[in-house]
Amino acid sequence: MAGPAHPHSMAPPKPGRTRAAPPQMPASWWNTSRMRTYLLFDATGIIYLLVGFVAIRMIRALAEGAGAWQAAMQSLENPIYIGFHLLSLISVIFVAVRFFRLFPKAQPPSIGPLKPPPGPVIHAALYAVWIGVTVVMSLALAGVIF
Amino acid sequence: MKTLLLKLEPLIWFMFGQGILIGTILLTGWILVVGVLMPLGIVDPANLDYTRAHELATASLFGVIPLGQLILAALLVLPLWKGAHHIRSLLVDFGGGERDGIVGGLLYLVAIVGSGMGIAAVVGL
Repeated sequence: MAGPAHPHSMAPPKPGRTRAAPPQMPASWWNTSRMRTYLLFDATGIIYLLVGFVAIRMIRALAEGAGAWQAAMQSLENPIYIGFHLLSLISVIFVAVRFFRLFPKAQPPSIGPLKPPPGPVIHAALYAVWIGVTVVMSLALAGVIF
Repeated sequence: MKTLLLKLEPLIWFMFGQGILIGTILLTGWILVVGVLMPLGIVDPANLDYTRAHELATASLFGVIPLGQLILAALLVLPLWKGAHHIRSLLVDFGGGERDGIVGGLLYLVAIVGSGMGIAAVVGL
């Protein structure tokens, strides 16, 4: 009868000295291009957290009334806010491009009897949804549609 | 704390995954228009005055589904979880995993509080 796997089932009966050298982190680990891109991807989390709270502030102002909304919109004209939002826009585009490239690779080979579509199809679909939603949302917010 | 985070990992990963996918898709247009084009005067801010902004935010589909509020809730809540989880990951990379339990717990607490604030703001529209 099969039992549940034990994580230490393959360990030697007596702990001994490993023949492999212990892993060491190179001093410049953060400076290699792959690591730098990976760290930048993680660092966009700071931007997402801040931009989320700025958006919450805007909607709280909208819930408060016309005066608060007007003041909140005017506050976004501060150069610090404009710079932050430009950085946010770059971050969001960077996350989208990197994540959409990784997404097809992260799909399981099958889910039950179903197989996911080929990678390029998933990749193209993600771009289509992203660009489509961005265009519709931008036109709606800018007063062109709806 | 670390044990609790491990137990909650499926939920944390779900919110993080939605944050990185749906959050990114929704944030792009919002930041572009509200954060950049309107403050720079490229798009007239009068096009998103209080009346119109409120109409958009409370728009419903077939008079039943509160589409505007659902989109706003996702826009406000999901990026917080992407942010919290990636900051946690960044701090593990630079500072090691010894304090991961308390740091991760604090970051997710910020995301939970922010999510509550965001949902309350959307419900209050």
